[in-house]
Order: sequence, then C-alpha cells, then structure tokens
Amino acid sequence: MSRDPGPSDPSLRYGEFLSAVRVRQRLVSYNRVHEEGRSQARAPQLRLVDLHRLLTPYVSVRFLEQARAVVPLALFLALFQTAALRVAVREGDEIILGMLAVMLGLTLFMDGVKYGLMPFAENIGFKLPGRSPTAVVLAFAFLLGGIATFAEPAIGALRAAGAGLDPARTPWLHLLLTRYPDRLVFAVGAGVGAAVVLGMLRFIYAWRMKTLVIAVLLPCLAASVYAGLDPRLAPILGLAWDCGAVTTGPVTVPLVLALGIGVGAAAGDRDNPLSGFGIVTLASLFPAMAVILVAVGLVAEVPDPGALPALAEVGTAAAWWDQTPVAEMIGALRAIAPLVLLLWLAQRFLLGETLAQRQLIAYGVVTAVLGMSLFNVGLSIGLIPLGDQAGNVVPSAFHAAQGGTPLYPYAFGVGLTLLFAATIGYGATVAEPALNAMGVTVENLTDGAFPRKLLIRAVATGVAMGTALGVAKIIFQWPMLPLLLGAYAVALVCTVLSIDEYVSLAWDSAGVTTGPVTVPLVLALGLGLGKAVGAAEGFGILAMASAGPIISVLAVGLWIRRRSAAEH
Amino acid sequence: MKKRDEIVVLTDAVLITCIVQRGSADAVVDAATEAGAQGATIFYARGTGVRQKHLGVLGITVNAEKEVLYIVAPSDHADHIFERIYVAAHLDTPGMGMLYMMPLEKMATYVPPEVATRFGHHAGRRG
Repeated sequence: MSRDPGPSDPSLRYGEFLSAVRVRQRLVSYNRVHEEGRSQARAPQLRLVDLHRLLTPYVSVRFLEQARAVVPLALFLALFQTAALRVAVREGDEIILGMLAVMLGLTLFMDGVKYGLMPFAENIGFKLPGRSPTAVVLAFAFLLGGIATFAEPAIGALRAAGAGLDPARTPWLHLLLTRYPDRLVFAVGAGVGAAVVLGMLRFIYAWRMKTLVIAVLLPCLAASVYAGLDPRLAPILGLAWDCGAVTTGPVTVPLVLALGIGVGAAAGDRDNPLSGFGIVTLASLFPAMAVILVAVGLVAEVPDPGALPALAEVGTAAAWWDQTPVAEMIGALRAIAPLVLLLWLAQRFLLGETLAQRQLIAYGVVTAVLGMSLFNVGLSIGLIPLGDQAGNVVPSAFHAAQGGTPLYPYAFGVGLTLLFAATIGYGATVAEPALNAMGVTVENLTDGAFPRKLLIRAVATGVAMGTALGVAKIIFQWPMLPLLLGAYAVALVCTVLSIDEYVSLAWDSAGVTTGPVTVPLVLALGLGLGKAVGAAEGFGILAMASAGPIISVLAVGLWIRRRSAAEH
Repeated sequence: MKKRDEIVVLTDAVLITCIVQRGSADAVVDAATEAGAQGATIFYARGTGVRQKHLGVLGITVNAEKEVLYIVAPSDHADHIFERIYVAAHLDTPGMGMLYMMPLEKMATYVPPEVATRFGHHAGRRG
C-alpha cells in the first residue's frame, strides 16, 4: 500500500496485489475533513437507507416487547372462542387493526414517557428532597401521584366501562360510571396521591412495611364492610377494588419510584435491601377506599337516582363507541399535559432549573400523546370488543342461551370457563415486562434466595387463581364482600408471619402485574360475562387478581424462610 | 539468546479496531471472519459522537452503549477485512460507529509447530 515496488523491482508483494485488485480506497486527510466540517456545520443528509438502519432496530425491539404481551393473549382468547365455544370472532379484521394500534400505541407511549417524563422525574426526585422542606416534597408527591394516574393508559378503560350496566339493578354504580366518571377518576387520583405521600413518609421515617400495610388495610377493609352491608353501596365494592389495580401502571410506578429513591437517598441509607419496594402497594389500597368514600357521598347526595333526568346517558353511551381520532387526541392530551406541566413547574420553580435537551423532551411528549391516542383507539376497537365478545360467549359453555342447549355439561362447562380465566391470568402475568424486571431485581437483592423464575411463577399462579375466583364470583353472582374479606384476611395473616422484605415484595407484585393490556381486556371480559349471565355488575376480577399474588408470594416467601431455617 | 529459548514473534500484523453499537458486534465479526480474520476480541464501552451533534431527535436511536472489536490480521489481508467490516457495520450511516487500523510492531500467539518449523524455528526444543 505504502511501499512502492518501483519499476526496477520485479517482485510484487501479494498484499499489494490484493490492494490493487480489491480495495477502492480514497485516502483523505482527517485534518482537511475536520476543517471542512467546521466551516459548514450542518446536519448530514440522511438517505432512506440510513433512516431504515437507524430506526428499524430501535423500533422493532420496542414493538416486539409489546407484541409479546399482546399477541399470545389475543390469540388465546380468539382460539378459545372458536375452538372450545365454536363461535367465530366477530369483526375480526377490526379487532386485529385495534390490536396493532394497541401495540404501536404502547410502543410510542412508553418511549415518549422515557424521554419526555422520566428525565424530569429523575432530576426532581434526585434534587428536590435535599433542597426543599419536607412539606413541599410531600405536596409535590401528592400531586404527582394523582396526576400521573390520569395519564395511566388503562384508566381510559375504566371511564368506558359503565355503558353496559343496568341502571335499574345497580343505580348508584351506574350513576357513578356514567354521570360522574370524573369524580371516580378524581377519587382514584386522590387515593394514589395519598398513597404516594404515605410512601414518602415511610421512606423518610423508615417505617416498617408490615406495620404500614396493616395500618392501611384495616381501615380499607372496615370501609368495605360498611359499604358491603349497605345494599345500595354493595355493588360498588367490586369497582372500588378494581380501581386499585388499574392505577398502578407503567406511568405511575416509575415516576413515583424515581421520587421515592431520591427521598430515600436524602433520608439516609437503609439496611433492608428491598425497602425500595412498597409504594406501589399502598397505591392499590387507597384508591379503593377513596372510591368507597365517593360512593358514600354520592348515595347521600342523590338518594333516588331513578328520579334524575336520563338525557346525559344516551350521549355517554354513544360517545364510547363513536370516537374520532380527534377525540382520542384530545383525551390523550388531557391525560398527559397536566403531568408535563406539573413536572415542568416543579423543575422551573422548585429547582430553578431550565430544561436541558429541549428537543428530546418535546419529542418525548409528542410521542407520548400520539402513542396514547393510538392506544385509546386500539382500546375501543380492539381490546375491549375482544374481551367483551369472549365474556359474552363464554357462558354458552354451561348456560343455555335463548332456548338452546349448553355446549357442555354444567360442571364441565363451568370448570372449562374457570380454567380459561386462570390461563388468561397466568399468561398475561408471565408476559408482563414489568414483572420480569422486578424478578431480576429481587433475585439480585436476595442473593438468589428468591429466584426470578420462582417469583414470576408465584405471582402468575396467584393471578391465575385470583382471576378464576373473580370469574366464579360473576358466574355464581357471589357478593364481593366475603371474597374480599376472605382473601385479605389470609393475606393479613401471612403478612404478620412474614419478614418485612417479603411483605413489601408481595404487596408490590400485586400492582406490577396489572398492565395496560391486561386491565382493559379483563375488565371487558368481566363486564361481558356479567351481562351474559345476568349478573348485576361484572367488576371484581381485577380486585381478586391483585389479591391472589399477595397471598402466593407471601406463601412462597414463608416457604423459602422455612427451608433455609431447616438447612442451617 | 540461546536457541532453545526461541519463541515465534510475528511481524507485519495490523490491529483493526471497530466501534459499533451494543448488539451489532456479532454481525461484524461474522463478516470479518468470512473475510479471513482469525477471530475477534469484543469488549463493552460507552461512547458519544455524531449522536449528540448531528442527528437531533434521531439521535435517540443510537445506543450510547458500544461494543469494541479488536481484530489482529496479517497486513496482506487487513485492507480486505477493513473494507468488509465497513460494509457489514453500515459505517456509511451516521451514528453507526467507526473503524480504524494501525500497524503492530510485533505480535505473538500460538503458531502450529509444523508451520513454525518451516520458517526455521527449532520445534520441540523450547523451554
């Protein structure tokens, strides 16, 4: 390459021959390129192939992550419907389109949250606790928890859930969902806010999780007992406890954790390796209580819902289905803008900092809004119809509809339905990316005593049993109260017996499992099922599905402790 | 130096270093091996460059986590390997990484005894 053989030298090095034949290199001095580049500093011209090379790997990894959660679940539902129940899926192409929108929407949304919101939250969580008085931090925590709830993708499903209810049988529940859905969402937001405040206090004062869980759970159960014994309030219980599961999704959890870690660091380090967990726990208990309180207020305020003029209901019911993309965009904007505004205000006025990387944050916010709009579209044409359909046709396995005969003998049909419910619960949980991440953390923190796979299996089994129980509740029209009391009594006993690390872990796993795909699907499934078997309301599956893993994880924790005690 | 302490030291060796995004190294190694490289050493690193300066929002698609490949090749083959890596790693796209090579004064590794003998090395008499 560099040595010139010269005309007098007959020999030629093989390498130089190769260079001459194969390599087409133009040698240019880097010095000159550097000078050139400095004099005209402008962005490089990207060809289409460059865009493809940059974007395709980036997008496909993120899209596949969502697809792994959505596709198996949807396929299973469709297969069960066609194979076991022999009913074809109606509006199949629309549902497929909806599923695509859900996956694409979640992909965009998660990326948007990562770039648009998380840098703020991390910065604020890191700096605010050291710079501001505790009261300010707590106020901010309350607002953050509440407002993040509005931005949770699954909350849209809750707003849409009221349309199929029968106002004559569950008047106040119907009223709350159709006429005052904002109150419901506000109650949930306030509940999450209160939970976040308590979680922060726990970080500051190093309260034990066990004490805190018992102190919060007992009033929640007391409120439930009060509501459950009142026939006007009893149907609301299922919804109230479902709300807890809805709230702890992919927006609230990382935002709140970012703040919590900052607060924990400012308060001094802990000896308990798992103390970072625990906030999510409270965020699924408080909303239940808040919704019950709102319902109590509603019953006092409107003693006779039947007397109210019914004009609003027609509008809401129609709006659920007939939404244009514009409406979805506005909804998404309304969900995300307050959160961005809050974070920006805190950054600007509490920390006195300006934005770094404005372009990236703008990208994040725009992407999040776009993603959420798409997700909402997918929710209403894909996820909810699929769940609703499945719920509608499942009872035909054991229930004779319109004078026909049931497909299977009663006991077998019910068993099949419960197995179906359990499989959905198990499958949805195993696919949840958040649970996998949590499993890795737990395995590291416990030095392998609690392996990742064991955690995932324990949680999934718990969810499966919970889902089956919730479906059984709807089929047999059991009242919610005894189920709740029974499940949480077992959880309480296990909690008292367990050590603090596993208490935080188990109670958190309840919240981690219910992601933005599972929630709408299961909610719609329950409502459809409730309608088909003629139950008063179809809520409660999610509530049971989040109580299940608490018990199963605590039980596994107790078993691990017993085993290691026997070894030593 | 006594003859029985002799070791084989190779000259005319070139070190090719390629820095790509985390996860892309395997494709590059495959291309290099196909072009005649004996093997590669990969380690993880972090790095920044065109991502921040020129790509703007598209910069998020470029991973700051990198893989660095070391490939030592005979100088006769180095240019060929160099070119193949350039193509396989898509280095003509901004943000994909960089590639350089430098001459090595000496390198040593396992050389099959029968090959070494052919070059005058006294096999079997070492240490």
